[in-house]
Amino acid sequence: MKSKNVIEIASSRIAQEGSSSVVQTKSKTKINFSRKAESEFFVDNSALAGFTGERILYMAIRELIENSLDSCETDRILPKIAVSLKLIDPLNDLWSISCEDNGIGIRSDKVSIAVCSFLTSGKYVEQQQRGLFGVGLKMIAAFSTKDTDHPLRVWSKSTEEASEYYFELRTDIGTNKPIVLTRRDVKPKESILRGNSGFRIEAVLRGRLSPITKNKIYDYISQTSIVNPYAVISFFTDDGKITFDRRTTIMPEPAKEVLPHPADMDLKTLKKAIGNYALQKTTIQGILCNSFQKLSSDKAREIIRNAGIEVKQADKYSEHELIKIVNICRQTKFQSPNVDHLSPIGERIFTVGMNTERAIFTRKDSIISDDHSQPRISTKEMKPTLTGYSSRACIINNRPTIVECGLAYGGNLSYFKLYRFANKIPLLYDEGSDVAREVISEVELNKMGVSKKQVKEQFSGLDSRSDRAIDLLPIHIFFHICSTKIPYKTAGKESIASEGELKKYMKACLSDLYRKVSKQIRREMHLKDAENRLKLYKYYIPLIVNAISESIDISAEDLTNSFLTLVDKHVKREATHPRTPNTKVESPKAPKQNHHVQGPHKDSRTKETSLVAKSSKSLKLKHVRSTQEKIENFMASEELD
Amino acid sequence: MAAIDKRHKETIGKIKLIMKDICKDVLSEKKMPSLDITKIGYDNTVWSEEKRMLTIGTKTVHISPDTTKKIPTFSQYIVMSNAVRKLLDEEMESTIRGMYYATLSTVGDEGNKQKFWTSQDASDDAIKAVELLTGVPREEFSVTSKPKGMISGPILLRVGGDIIDCNLGSRATSQLIPTNIMDVEIVDVKADFVMVVEKDTVLNNIRKSGFIQKYNAILMTGSGEPDRATRMMVKTLNEVWKKPVVVFADADPWGLGIALRYKIGSESLSYDSDRLVTPDAKVLGMMFSDIYDYNIPEVARLAASEEDLNRAVDMKKKQWLKDKKWQKELSLFLKNKEKCELDAFFKHGFRYLAETYLPQKLRESGIL
Repeated sequence: MKSKNVIEIASSRIAQEGSSSVVQTKSKTKINFSRKAESEFFVDNSALAGFTGERILYMAIRELIENSLDSCETDRILPKIAVSLKLIDPLNDLWSISCEDNGIGIRSDKVSIAVCSFLTSGKYVEQQQRGLFGVGLKMIAAFSTKDTDHPLRVWSKSTEEASEYYFELRTDIGTNKPIVLTRRDVKPKESILRGNSGFRIEAVLRGRLSPITKNKIYDYISQTSIVNPYAVISFFTDDGKITFDRRTTIMPEPAKEVLPHPADMDLKTLKKAIGNYALQKTTIQGILCNSFQKLSSDKAREIIRNAGIEVKQADKYSEHELIKIVNICRQTKFQSPNVDHLSPIGERIFTVGMNTERAIFTRKDSIISDDHSQPRISTKEMKPTLTGYSSRACIINNRPTIVECGLAYGGNLSYFKLYRFANKIPLLYDEGSDVAREVISEVELNKMGVSKKQVKEQFSGLDSRSDRAIDLLPIHIFFHICSTKIPYKTAGKESIASEGELKKYMKACLSDLYRKVSKQIRREMHLKDAENRLKLYKYYIPLIVNAISESIDISAEDLTNSFLTLVDKHVKREATHPRTPNTKVESPKAPKQNHHVQGPHKDSRTKETSLVAKSSKSLKLKHVRSTQEKIENFMASEELD
Repeated sequence: MAAIDKRHKETIGKIKLIMKDICKDVLSEKKMPSLDITKIGYDNTVWSEEKRMLTIGTKTVHISPDTTKKIPTFSQYIVMSNAVRKLLDEEMESTIRGMYYATLSTVGDEGNKQKFWTSQDASDDAIKAVELLTGVPREEFSVTSKPKGMISGPILLRVGGDIIDCNLGSRATSQLIPTNIMDVEIVDVKADFVMVVEKDTVLNNIRKSGFIQKYNAILMTGSGEPDRATRMMVKTLNEVWKKPVVVFADADPWGLGIALRYKIGSESLSYDSDRLVTPDAKVLGMMFSDIYDYNIPEVARLAASEEDLNRAVDMKKKQWLKDKKWQKELSLFLKNKEKCELDAFFKHGFRYLAETYLPQKLRESGIL
């Protein structure tokens, strides 16, 4: 009790004495406000860019491939990309990673900052690209500088220049500036880059590669190839080389840079727009028309009138007046934003991609043997028997968004798999929390015209890892979301949140697709069923024939042959005239054949006159008579021993 | 013996007829063969007011090898039919388990091998199917189950050529009721009535007390769920030898269900009720009210389970329990939620059941 009082008194005294004592205590822990270089910030917070522990090598491969594809697509160059990942120092976990493309290259005067300086990028425009922050390459440079003494080696041949340049670079992490160790022209005969233009980078990184991450890299490359079937992608590893060839020469329309949509306007975008016209003494009306899409001159005038501000030189408005314009714009209805800045994959390319899907797998026998001469990895073509595609354009978060959905079925596919892409980048982690997973569980399978029961009956034998019907189907479902602002759930950019009406549109796409492929899938399932059934007949007919030929005098061979012809015809007819789902229609048959169906005491049973039996009595009597007749006829015609 | 041989020949003939029909379908008519079999189960069981028993309905199932599911079933029925034919040809007999082993095999090829029977249940079903297809109960084609029914008392049986006297002076043991019922013949019955109890343990207690000698009774039990041989024996004693039959089972819905097997039959064997059911049997106990009338102490009562209560609610709706007495008993059970085994009478002393409770019940019903 006593000590508590003392404390109370002490604290009240401090309060009375006021600010002077507080200032005194604060001065002891002085906060130093310092500026951190962007490079240092990103190295310290590498998780922001996804460069965490295990994932460093995976992220590096990913960033390099994405940069290369973007670089090719901006100039409609059919991409040819070679990536390699090789362990050079197992003791210190050092890996050599390289990536070469035939893209537009980087101008020699920009190479060093493009590779090393954070927040310097050609990607800060309103246009769909794979990368958005331009951070990936810089992370590789910074990590290489941080963890090794190897310089980055870069070859670049820009479309704007005649010759190829070679650089050796490191990043000054403290200042976010490149350190150029070497810079020289490459003589034509020593040229490394084969195409008219291109870019090659080699870096040494420290990292570990678990088998799981290794498989993620394989998945990443094979999935990238699905949505980029127009690209040649080669991958060289210690386990062997894999090449995904070009399967089409069609490329998606490259995304165009567009003006921002006025519904998405804020004070920052408006001030930036005014700033762009600072020297031209334009009216605010003109600036609005020229800086935002879907804004006619009339509409701009209407907005200014509604905002209730006077007309004066554009740079003379106060922030208070400008925010009124922003607010009015947010309330006004505009035409839907155009989607020129988006670059969906499109039905033709998507279909090619799905049809030529190849999965990379590690040979099982190679794990046991340590023979390095044999490649440990190879690919398997999926060859689905059917594919489907559907898409929807919508507005999510004021940004136009395109949802594309694809489906592949049958062939070498063994079970359900979900593929998620955002701006043509495969998303490989956190599938469970992705909106696509919800979409799949919420769209009923029977939209496909097949019931869960059917699926379970037909497929549960193959792989019963799951109780959910969809997981049993040999089906791959693909979702591609394009937008300049993908609603990612986390900073790692690995799963998409169910933002706005995104889920609704995704569900609509998938439902469309289920309906589209329903007829074919049903056909496929019937063929599969027929195949299973023929196999069953093959197994069981000998048993039936054997039992019969032991009991009665009949040629087992004749019976087998007749039976086989019969079931073959039967299965073929069923496969070509499938039953409609859920309503079982008996296959066309001659009038029912009744083999004596009698219970032990047919006589007493037929005499039965209880109320329950009355209604069906006449029918039953007839049925009994026919069976009896049959037995009698048989007894008469054939001698029983 | 000659009569049995003739019936065996008929059964063989019926099986061959089924086979010939299949061959005709396949060879000359070029169509999928089909076996039409009376459906077994609750949805094809009908209460017959006239016969006072459960009888089979009119529903049939078509077993044709036209769908993935039915190909194995069809084959199983044919294979089993052939096995029965073989058994009869060889003049042998077998248990249902023996038939399972006799027809055991695998189907499929390397890498995709399956068992022909998933379990003995599947082969038991196939045996039932052969019964229904031929209209011949399995005892007539010498397929039996392990005996478990027991009998004691002044009755003389002839099994094959051997005479078995069940009037056991020693009081020390009971006779198993043979399941090859075709070979069993009742030679003489000197008892005044037949008393059937649910469990063999209870039967042993009653026999030891000298009940058989004192009241000139035959004691029988099915050791729980009665097999067909026991049910048939009860029926024969009642209808051929005109002996009154009384049934005692535990005072719970399960026990009542077993007692009713003798009196009205069961859903799974409703196709054979005419041979198995004894409609004149009297279910005398143990009544739910006996728990209280005979002061079974609380410690010897058991709490009813959820399943018991559901069963009782179901039973209350049944036509054959519409009688006021049964409705009252079931209501009492649902109200008190207590059940009791016959063994609980031992709490009143080891001789109480045989010397007080049973005689009193028998007197009330006029048997004594």
